[in-house]
Amino acid sequence: MLEFDGLHKSYGDHHVLEGVGFAVAPGSMFGFCGANGAGKTTTMRIAMGLARPDAGQVRWRGRPLDEEGRRRMGYMPEERGLYPKMRVGEQLTWFARLHGLDAAAAARAAEEWSDRLGLGERRRSRVEELSLGNQQRVQLAAALVSRPEVLILDEPFSGLDPVGVDALADALLDQCRAGVPVVFSSHQLDLVERLCDAVGILARGRMVATGTVDDLRRRGSGGLLRVVAPDAGPGWAAALPGVRVVSERTGDTLLELADGADDQAVLAAALRTGRVSHFARREATLVELFREAVADPAQRTDREEVAA
Amino acid sequence: MSAPLSSGQLVRLVAAREVSTRLRDKTFLISSAVMLLIILGVLVFQVVLNSSSDESRIGVVGDPGAVGPALEAQGEALGLEVTVVSLDDDAAARTAVEDEDVDAAVLDPTGRAPELLVRESDATVEGVVSGAVGAVALQRVLAEAGVDPGGLPQVTVTALDESSAADGQRTVVAIVGVVLLYSLIILFGQFVAQGVVEEKSSRVVELLLATMRPWQLLAGKILGLGALGLAQITLIAVIGVGGALALDVVDVPGDLVGTVGWVLFWYVLGYALFASLFAVAASLVSRQEDLASVITPTSLVLFVGFFVAIQAATNPSGTLAVVTSFVPGLSPMVMPVRQAAGEVALWEVGVAVVLMVVATVLVVRLGGRVYSGALLRTSGRTKVREALRAGRA
Repeated sequence: MLEFDGLHKSYGDHHVLEGVGFAVAPGSMFGFCGANGAGKTTTMRIAMGLARPDAGQVRWRGRPLDEEGRRRMGYMPEERGLYPKMRVGEQLTWFARLHGLDAAAAARAAEEWSDRLGLGERRRSRVEELSLGNQQRVQLAAALVSRPEVLILDEPFSGLDPVGVDALADALLDQCRAGVPVVFSSHQLDLVERLCDAVGILARGRMVATGTVDDLRRRGSGGLLRVVAPDAGPGWAAALPGVRVVSERTGDTLLELADGADDQAVLAAALRTGRVSHFARREATLVELFREAVADPAQRTDREEVAA
Repeated sequence: MSAPLSSGQLVRLVAAREVSTRLRDKTFLISSAVMLLIILGVLVFQVVLNSSSDESRIGVVGDPGAVGPALEAQGEALGLEVTVVSLDDDAAARTAVEDEDVDAAVLDPTGRAPELLVRESDATVEGVVSGAVGAVALQRVLAEAGVDPGGLPQVTVTALDESSAADGQRTVVAIVGVVLLYSLIILFGQFVAQGVVEEKSSRVVELLLATMRPWQLLAGKILGLGALGLAQITLIAVIGVGGALALDVVDVPGDLVGTVGWVLFWYVLGYALFASLFAVAASLVSRQEDLASVITPTSLVLFVGFFVAIQAATNPSGTLAVVTSFVPGLSPMVMPVRQAAGEVALWEVGVAVVLMVVATVLVVRLGGRVYSGALLRTSGRTKVREALRAGRA
């Protein structure tokens, strides 16, 4: 298990993390979501020893991570970083050696990973001569070249074209299948939903939700109901018991039903307004769950009062 | 598959990367070659200069007789090695001078109207010839008058400062050495500073610090480039000294080697201090464009030291030279010049070395904290105080 436990960190008066904790099982992929400035990068930097937490610790296999432990981790920082004038092959070899591989093993691993990520042709090129997409691949290769036990990737998909996204996703799934816990942050929630076994949503320095996407759905609003009644006037559903209007747009209404609320009563109400062209339960997307989770509680109360 | 790495191994890995990167850097290779060429040029220039003034072939028409030895004796007194060549007649003398077979020819050396043929006027040769001809004539006149030439007063020369010539030569070597030392410290200090900024501006530093501590990165960088710099100055020294000995430019080989050895020694101390200062200053900025503004104060100290050292060559026992030869940062340039001038007791050197080492340790301690605090702040310029605070946290 890779465990993040009770991390606190503040810079001056600014509290970035206030008790962040979650765990990632070996061989599973953890998607780390949160608005900009929520503290994802700080959390990952703490795991890599680049920032020191005011309290809390990160453990791998039950032991707090130290320098030796971190040497067996692969890391991709949010701000990409490579030596611009160093050649791809030499750079990968060197990073492998920094992670403790001997010269021969490092050279072999550099060759293998540059081939696997489609950089075989560019091994002798300087990094600055490569396209941004290829530089990103080198960055990923630098994280993977030491055969890490744990992968921590900060926004690995940002700036990639769809083909690049697929290649990276495949590489990460391979790692997962090999038993490596992978933690990555992303704003591309559809991607997180597709790839990750578990998701964590960070807001205001705390984990506001963790679990599988299904868990979050169940724990969340209990399902949404989409009703399309073209002739319905605004606010037709507002007074129904146990129903909250999530959104309403010229007859296309998204409703959230409280536990035990009767969806047939909603259908009857909708039919009273005229024709109903669509009536179906819909599972919340991660984007909706995310919006709900990170919404400021004060604002949410306001909205609920308005809705009620 | 991966084995634990010791600090030493990490430092060596960083150092090896610095060296191999520089060895393939064209700018570095060209600047090294230029420096070697300059040293060789200076040597060849010395040789040419010496040979043109040291030797002269003087032709004498007829049997030189007493004039030959007199020319050689006069030449020796004026620092000119004279070879006397016997010529058949005036016409042969004229041809020999025109063909540059001889530098000058004396016609009728023992007669009433001796004449000197030269292609262009040369005061030394003229002095030698007129002195020699005059001396021979005087002897002959005295002998004819029955006076014993031995009774004439002779000037005996006593040199009060026997070593001054050797001192002068050592000082010249020390100045050349200090110029080299200054240039190489600036050059390699810049390399260190640029390397630090390159790692910050390319953000690769974040990846590096995930595997090592800031001090290991700093140490590897300074040691790697330092070893390269030392190799370069040693190569220049070996070629310079070897060339000087082979071409016979210096009089006292032992002094030369000693002075060069001290310059190398001070180079190591000076580099250690200035490279650390450069690295710490460079860690405060994130772009190469901002580098100049933070390393200028350090470069200025270096320049002041260089300037004082050149001054010290003319007045090695002056107050300025004596005081600055103890000041850390200035001492690596001033002290070797004073040592070359032979004005320094060993204990003075010891004190200067200790002060230098103490200063370097302080810079590494305090600077290391600034460096580690500033490395991950990649936005704009970091203030020293902020960096110190972050370094401690």
